[in-house]
Amino acid sequence: MNGLVRNTWLAIVCFLLIGVIKLPLEQRGATLLREEGSLPSAGNFRLRDDLGQLAFAATLGGLRSLVASMTYLQAFTAFERSNWAQVESLNSLTTQLQPRFYGYWDDAATRMAYDAASFYLYDKSRPALYRNQIYRRNFERGIQFAEEGVRELPKDRRLHERLAELYFRLVGTPDQKLLYPPDYRRAGEHYLESYLNGGLPKNRRFAAYAWARVPDAPDLWQKAYDLLKETHATGYRSPTSVATLKELEVKLNIPPEKRLNEPVPPPPSVPR
Amino acid sequence: MFHLRRILALASNTVTQLLRMKVLFFLLAFCVLVVAAGFAFPAVSEAQQLKLLKDVSFGALQAFAVVMAIASTALLLPKDVEDRTLYTILAKPVPRIDYLLGKYLGVIALIAGGLILMDAAFSLVLYIKQTIVIKEAVDWFVHQQQGQADAAGIAAVTADLEKQGLTWSLHTAVWSIFLKAAVLTALALLISTIASSTLFTIITGFAFFVIGHGLGLFRDYFFQGGISRWDYALSAVLSILCPDLGLFDIVDPVLEGHVPSVMAMSTMTGFAVLYIVGYLTVAHLLFVEKEL
Repeated sequence: MNGLVRNTWLAIVCFLLIGVIKLPLEQRGATLLREEGSLPSAGNFRLRDDLGQLAFAATLGGLRSLVASMTYLQAFTAFERSNWAQVESLNSLTTQLQPRFYGYWDDAATRMAYDAASFYLYDKSRPALYRNQIYRRNFERGIQFAEEGVRELPKDRRLHERLAELYFRLVGTPDQKLLYPPDYRRAGEHYLESYLNGGLPKNRRFAAYAWARVPDAPDLWQKAYDLLKETHATGYRSPTSVATLKELEVKLNIPPEKRLNEPVPPPPSVPR
Repeated sequence: MFHLRRILALASNTVTQLLRMKVLFFLLAFCVLVVAAGFAFPAVSEAQQLKLLKDVSFGALQAFAVVMAIASTALLLPKDVEDRTLYTILAKPVPRIDYLLGKYLGVIALIAGGLILMDAAFSLVLYIKQTIVIKEAVDWFVHQQQGQADAAGIAAVTADLEKQGLTWSLHTAVWSIFLKAAVLTALALLISTIASSTLFTIITGFAFFVIGHGLGLFRDYFFQGGISRWDYALSAVLSILCPDLGLFDIVDPVLEGHVPSVMAMSTMTGFAVLYIVGYLTVAHLLFVEKEL
């Protein structure tokens, strides 16, 4: 056997040997890196149908983030054209591609719950009943996006705050709130989660305001009362916090000697 | 066995050879792209603007590294044969392993240099963009709070955007791109030792690149079982023949804000060393007795 043939066989054996040795190591390494969050989740073949072959190949080729940016920009263009069906499907695709970037969930939730829902509600070319129905459907879709985002990123204070805001119906006209009534119990839960995950102190107060409004829920009123008492003890006084505390004292039958003995402060003057 | 000075001389010669092929034009194009991406799409939110800049820049960084790794390596050996420089070098007492290592180091030195320059340009633009958007976001927050904005709120707005801005973890993503390119260079060098044409090396190199990124799926099939015999055999063959390039894909999580651990970086680097040593050994075995 001459040197060339011998070396060729040796090279083939060596190449195959490397392949066999690396296989279990790669499997273990990939699992380790994925568990640590350093690798994206495994390729999802459902994406292939939505993206097309080329973009799917690009996501496999390590350009998933870039493809997500492109679909996000397409969704933004669709939003500018008020093409809400496309906004929904492209946002859904973008969040599938990069589920760990909070901004995509947040954008998808606000686009559907606020922009799309309001667009349909005030579109006079449609019958009123249909407008109301489609308003509710889009608002619900926005909530779904925020809920999926919270499931994906349970420690993200911003997504909890967004979901709480949607349940609380913080933004919206009285008519809109009638069409999709607030869910104060859930709003309170997510405001508190936001606060516990590093959110602003106002979210703790908002949790209390939300729970104070839940009808027939003495356990939640008690939690709200405790939260507001803690805030009050720090010296915080605002018209809403003091008024809600007083309201809760009545609801919870707090003995008169333990009740607040101070008037509701006037609203702060707003600079113009 | 190796002669370091000889290898370095060959590497520096390779860098010069590649620079003469005007590869630096890509860097210029990159800078234009980064600046354009940095100031495009002002209508989207501040965090999205920063993310878009990062996504576009990292896409370009990856394209540069992969194309350089495969195409420039594929060109080297045939060009040396065509120019007859290979015969001049090997007529001297230069072992073929030194020649291969010199070529390999030359290519990865150029890729490393390019990535460093591009990373520096990108970091500068990202820092400028970050400073601008944070100022805008804080101004908007203060305006929205109607003069009631507290320090904690401003700090939260700033911290959220800083997370999407320039962080050290972005450079770890650049390192992962370099590792992937280094593995691809070794693989392309191996292919070019048996290839009959440059085109063959480039096409095969890109095929390995594409399959290498989907290898995790094939390997999962292989280990999980429950598939037909043919599918099992195909997944086994592909899993054995291709390197798992998906192991170097930390770019996406990093762009989402994830900070990779030292363990993750070491694991990735370890895999890169394993592939590089393995492929260069095979390339040497194929090249050492090759009739030129």
